[in-house]
Amino acid sequence: MNSINDAVENKINGLHYGNRLLLPFHAHILKIVIDDNIITDFSNDSKEVEISCKNNFMEIYFLKYKDLMNTVSEFENIKMILVEEGKDIFNPETHEKIALYLEDAHKVRIEKITEDILFIE
Amino acid sequence: MLSRFFLTLCRIIICTFFVNTDSIAETTSYTESISAVSGIESSLTLPDPLMMLPFIVLLIMIATGPLLFRHFWEHHYPKIAIFLGMITVLYYLFVINDTGSLFHTLAEYLSFIALLSSLFAASGGILIKVDRKATPMLNVILLLFGGVIANIIGTTGASMLLIRPFIKLNKDRIKPYHIVFFIFIISNIGGALTPIGDPPLFLGFLRGVEFFWVVEHVWYIWLPVILLIVLIFYIIDSRNTIAEDVQRTYSNTIEFKGIRNVIYLLIIVVSVFVDPNIMSWVPDFHPLPFGLREIIMFSMVIIAYRTADKQILKSNEFDFEPIKEVAFLFVGIFATMIPALQLIAYEAKMNGKELTPSVFYWVTGALSAFLDNAPTYLNFLSAEMGKFDLDINNKLEVLKFELEHPVYLTAISVAAVFFGAMTYIGNGPNFMVKSISERAGIKMPTFFGFLFKYAIPVLLPIFVLVWLIFFYGEV
Repeated sequence: MNSINDAVENKINGLHYGNRLLLPFHAHILKIVIDDNIITDFSNDSKEVEISCKNNFMEIYFLKYKDLMNTVSEFENIKMILVEEGKDIFNPETHEKIALYLEDAHKVRIEKITEDILFIE
Repeated sequence: MLSRFFLTLCRIIICTFFVNTDSIAETTSYTESISAVSGIESSLTLPDPLMMLPFIVLLIMIATGPLLFRHFWEHHYPKIAIFLGMITVLYYLFVINDTGSLFHTLAEYLSFIALLSSLFAASGGILIKVDRKATPMLNVILLLFGGVIANIIGTTGASMLLIRPFIKLNKDRIKPYHIVFFIFIISNIGGALTPIGDPPLFLGFLRGVEFFWVVEHVWYIWLPVILLIVLIFYIIDSRNTIAEDVQRTYSNTIEFKGIRNVIYLLIIVVSVFVDPNIMSWVPDFHPLPFGLREIIMFSMVIIAYRTADKQILKSNEFDFEPIKEVAFLFVGIFATMIPALQLIAYEAKMNGKELTPSVFYWVTGALSAFLDNAPTYLNFLSAEMGKFDLDINNKLEVLKFELEHPVYLTAISVAAVFFGAMTYIGNGPNFMVKSISERAGIKMPTFFGFLFKYAIPVLLPIFVLVWLIFFYGEV
């Protein structure tokens, strides 16, 4: 199983199909910003997203969107704050901020959010 | 007098819902120009008050859509805005055969969206990084700076240029009130000093109001209002202690990237004056609903986007969605507000003799908060001038009006710009600033949250003070 850092440093891409996003690690998500939509409800009853962890990846369905490619344009991204599975979620230093860029051929480029990109926790 | 005018307004609204409108349409036909904006002297029929319904429905949907049916609204707002706008367009085309009002509204809309989209695209390629510790005083300085430059590059240009640095500066302590005060000062009130600052003043300038008349007659209202709002911000911001325990080192530098786009911004600002009414060499493309100015501005959108540094666009997460949202919503607003403006202009003209600067201040303000402030300003300028038997289409008479009755012109100039800060739809940049902030992860207040939690408590008392000090009792 890859860690978030593995995915970023080794440029391991995720995948996107329609409203489904597959990420090559397991993590607890704290916040997602897609378009101008701020998502913080990750309960089982959430009307926004459905998250599940498989053997060596996690998948997120964005229930309110048909196709993520139509929502996130070239210079935009999906922003997330997440905590690696197994790490202390209550320690703010474990909170990772990542940006996901959707590319052709269903690829999702995963980058750590730098100071340049606006993302308020 | 104030109550009488509001009664008239209420009458229009009540008629819309409860009265047999056939009889109203019959009795309110009249044969004079009801479109102050168009300047077309032709026989026109006053629209049926029922035709205010699409506008009211659109306003209600803009206010409640993101709150009550967010995803339906996000997916379908372009269709809804165009559908409601089309009702008005078809009514004007086939029921009252008034193509003049439609044509002029289209020209105004193209001007409006050309300016907004060009400033949006040009500023999207500029990156300003302020690496300093955010303090209430530094925020105050930035807000004041933005308020001043809004008069040079417009409220839209200043908002687009400064919103990201403002959020970044405050990233450890940002709260919705930061963005709200940014909208108050930089996206609206700051731009009250020059015709470049805000579109209504520019339309007044095109009609003949001298360029420096505004700063000469508004600065003594602008300054205390800005200082008062900034003071309120300072008090609130001083109580924000979220970031006190954040340990961070700062280089205390300001980094600026994208100088080429600054040149584009300057071209856009200069092109504002490329108008046949100002420069005789500028070709008049009439009957086309746009001119050389709009061509320059739309070209700047393409050039600025194509030539921008891709890394800056990535850092700014540049996307046309915010301007697309404004373009669609305002196409609906511009179209559906034609009947509302004409009915109000008619009432204002009929009662013009009895209207005081106080009435003009409040009514222009109230309507500017919910309608677009540019046509509102022009209609009330026309009504004010009509009160003194002057014609808005005659530049010499506009000059005479500004010299002999400055308090009237001051009242609508101040109200049109200041009250644009009351709602998200009061001025174009308000929506764009909201959208950029949400994309940065800041949960912004809803339409009603903005109005009731911030605009009414903070701005309304100040606007009442402005009225009491500068317009109350003036005749």
